[in-house]
Formats: sequence, C-alpha cells, structure tokens
Amino acid sequence: MSDTREVISSGNELAAMAAVDAGCMFFGGYPLTPSSEVMHKITDLLPAVGGAAMQMEDEIAGIAAAIGAGMSGVRSLTATSGPGMSLKAENLGLAQMAEVPLVVINVMRGGPSTGLPTRVAQGDINQAKNPSHGDYKSITLCAGNLAECYTEVVRAFNLADRFMQPVIVLLDETIGHMHAKAVIPTAEAVKAGIKPRKTFDGPAEEYRPYDVAQDEPAVLNPMFTGYRYNFTGLHHDADGFPTEEKETCRKLIDRLFRKVDEHKDEIELNEEYMLDDADILLIGYGSASLAIKEAINELRKDGIKAGMFRPITVWPSPEERLYELGKKFDKVLVVELNQGQYYEEIQRAMERHNIEKLTKTNGRPFSPADIIEKVKEVF
Amino acid sequence: MSRIVMRFTGVGGQGVLLAGEIFAAAKIKAGGYGVKTATYTSQVRGGPTVVDIQLDDKEIWYPYAIDGQIDFMLSVADKSYQLFKSGVKEGGTIVIEPNLVNPTDEDRKKWNIVEIPIITIAKEEVGNVITQSVVALAIANEFTKALDEKILIDTMLSKVPPKVHELNLKAYELGKKYAQEAMNK
Repeated sequence: MSDTREVISSGNELAAMAAVDAGCMFFGGYPLTPSSEVMHKITDLLPAVGGAAMQMEDEIAGIAAAIGAGMSGVRSLTATSGPGMSLKAENLGLAQMAEVPLVVINVMRGGPSTGLPTRVAQGDINQAKNPSHGDYKSITLCAGNLAECYTEVVRAFNLADRFMQPVIVLLDETIGHMHAKAVIPTAEAVKAGIKPRKTFDGPAEEYRPYDVAQDEPAVLNPMFTGYRYNFTGLHHDADGFPTEEKETCRKLIDRLFRKVDEHKDEIELNEEYMLDDADILLIGYGSASLAIKEAINELRKDGIKAGMFRPITVWPSPEERLYELGKKFDKVLVVELNQGQYYEEIQRAMERHNIEKLTKTNGRPFSPADIIEKVKEVF
Repeated sequence: MSRIVMRFTGVGGQGVLLAGEIFAAAKIKAGGYGVKTATYTSQVRGGPTVVDIQLDDKEIWYPYAIDGQIDFMLSVADKSYQLFKSGVKEGGTIVIEPNLVNPTDEDRKKWNIVEIPIITIAKEEVGNVITQSVVALAIANEFTKALDEKILIDTMLSKVPPKVHELNLKAYELGKKYAQEAMNK
C-alpha cells in the first residue's frame, strides 16, 4: 500500500486535516482572516474522532484553552493570523516557561495592526522568533507549498511533544488559500510516525517533572494520572513551584535554550532547489518560494544558472548551512514579503553584508517577473 | 497541452470561486495540474473578487495568473472588470455580463469581447441565480476547450447536492448553448 495519497484542497484545510491525523484532540481559537478555514475545517473534523473544538471569546482565550488542553496531556492546536499572534504572545511565553506542548498556526497577512486582512505578507517572521517577552528558544516551521501545510503541521506536533514547548507553523495568505493538488502522507503513515511525549512511570513520590538533564525538556505526565506537580509562569523548581533561588533560575533559562540548541539536527529542515550547478543563490521561504522556483526555471532558459535555498524550519535558523552557502556563493539574493526581516538573520549567519534583497510590503505577492528583473539588475 | 490561464472576476458573494475550484479539480482528475487562487478584499460582500485558474500538464508552482498571459476572462461586475482586464493577453477573449459590465471602444479593439447575459440566464432561464457559476463554467470551457466536457460535468456534479443536479445540468447546457451562439455570430 502506498504511504501517500493525492488530495485536492487548500492550505488551511490541509493544516486542519494534518492536526487531526497527527492526533490533535483539541482546538481552541477565534476566527481571523486569512486563517479562519483552519478553524472551520477542524471544527468539522474533531467531533468525529472524539475531540473538541471551541470558539472562545477572543484570541487570548483561544490559546489559553489550548494550553489547558496541552497541560492535561492531549495534543492541542490554536490558529490565527498576525493580530491574533500579538494577542497570544503573553500566553506563548507561559507555554515556553511551563513547557507545555502546543501547535500554533499563523497564516500571515499584511501588518502591522489590522493591516491588510485579506492579503499576503511574511512580516511575522521576526515575531515568531520572540513573540513574548523574556528568554527562550522558539521553534518555528514555515510551509512553502500545499503539501507542507500538511506535513509541517504533523512535524510541529511531534516536535512540540519532543521538546515540550509551543511550535509555531507559519503559513501565509497565498499558501493558506490556494487550492490545488497535494500529495501527502496517508493518515495511517502519520499515525505510525507519532512520537508521544515522554512520561515518568516511577513512583509518584519520586516524580520531579523539571528535574531533567540540562539539554532535555521537562517530563510532564498527563493530568489526573496520580502524578502531582505545579504549573507556573514564575521561575520554578524541580516540582514546578515558584523559586528565586539563583542557581535554579540560571539553570532553567539555560536549559530552555540548550534543549533546542543541542538538538538542532532533530529540528532543522531545508529544501535546496537546483543549487548544485548554480552561480546565483536565491533564498526565500513560504509562498515567495513558489515565485522563486518559476523564476529559476525561466532564468535557466536564458542561461542564467540560479538555484534556491529554502529554510522550512525558520527558527532556529539553519545557520551552519547558511554560513557554508555564504562562502560558496558570491551572488546571494534574499526574497521576502517584508522589509528584510530574515535578510538580517542571513547576514548574521553568513557573517557578511554584501547580500542583495528583494522585498515587498504592499500585500501583493511577488511575481516570477519581479524576481527575474531583480536578478538581471543586480548580478 | 500548453498552459491555459483563465480569470473569473466579480464581486464578493456572487459565487465565482466555485467555478474555479471545479476547473482545477477536473483538470487534476483528467491527469495534470490545476490551481485555483482567489484574491479578494476585506469588504466581504461587494468587494472586487478575482479567481485565477491555471491548468497544465506540467507542475505549476506560482499560483497566480501572470498579467499578459491570461487567455480567457469572464466578468460579471464592472468594478472588477476594470481592475483586472489588463491581465488578459491581446486578442484574448473576455466574456462579460452586458447588463453589468461596460467595456470601452478601445477594449473592444484590443480583446474579443463577448456579451452573454450570464446572470439573467441563471435567474430567468435556469430559475436560480446561484447557478451562474455553472453557466460561467460551461461558457469558459466552450471558449477555451480546456477540458473534456464529461469530466468537467462529473466534477461539477460531485460538488453540488444531488437534489440540484438537474438544475445545474440545465445551467451547464444553457451556458454551452449561449457560448456557441456567441461564437457563431
């Protein structure tokens, strides 16, 4: 039997299907263009598998409910767009601090504020790195085609349980609303790949959920199973109770970083398109990469050898690979639907400043012609 | 087949999105790639809406129609006609609802402008204004010959409830008839 299937759908609906296939049992949220179809679809799907979807009074309550479900032990989702991410920011910090697994889908639209509700943008990429105050290490994935609206949501659920923290999946208006064929894994294949979160099976009196190796996440047993611990946004000790003891506080934040930094190999995912023989490196992510691919195909017809590097995991950024590519390619052009947010990360990772950028912030997508013109102009 | 690019335009609430979905799904069923991408404004009802449809045997990455490459456009609202007509290639066909869309004399020189009262047909001859997207579907396929009619009709029927199959078949036949008459003029 094949491990894949062909479906005709939109990115938002594929994201909802993925969540349910990955074992998500709860959705808490509030509809917001252009993400609303995620909620519509999952509201249809969840009751059939014994799960629940709740429309709350606002985005804040949506993520709060989803965190509660995550604390209780089930896989949990919320979905929104940029303005909703701003509202959810504080609770994202709580989930980082208390180490509650959760998937958050952000279908990006023009901002800031209410911005351009129905139009595409990629202006939330920096926000995804640090949506809330304080120090922690974000994991953020970015779907670059329809199939990835499915596969990246599945991966996000597995990563959230592995690292016990919220994982953000970025879609954008174009990807969320485009409607076409996608070849995706079967539900059975997804189920077979589910890696549930770790639990502690020893005697309850020996259970110390936050007493773990310095590069590992907390081990939070599902609620109501006889293992007691405390959840708090305050700095906390091995049992989860508030403390200001200086070494405990230092170790906690250090661990929130190290659990991600020391396992990047489990998180990083990139696509390299026609890079082997390329002279020009184009870097883009999300829907911009669709225009980049068409542009590369056209440029190659004119004898201009361009290729693309596309981070699928955008945070933590693929800094080692970017550094290597920065050494290999003289000609680098970053293409993104913002004023150059990821461009700065690429400059940092490549340790160089002479990188070109093509940006757009009027709510319209790049066309392949925009990219071809820029490549011919600067190289 | 080489790539066929179509654009349906109207205002929010008219239901032009569905025709695009049917085209894309039928092409995929026939073996190939079909992409439908809609662009709309934050004004839910009454704002200009455009649906781009691309059909190809080869994989399609970029989901929007590229201005200047559109073979066929259908428009049932003047404000979206004026906004999006420039994407149609010179000599391309634009089917308009003559009661609602007002092309200029220059437009008529540049493009093959065909007047078919799509909304009146749906409302008065089919008997339900909602069927205008199926009337439009038939017209678009007659002009572009993009897809095998049987696959297109089967796909259309699979997306509407059984109790309105007959009505939608009637809408398809009428759309086809008007398109053929317009072509023979």
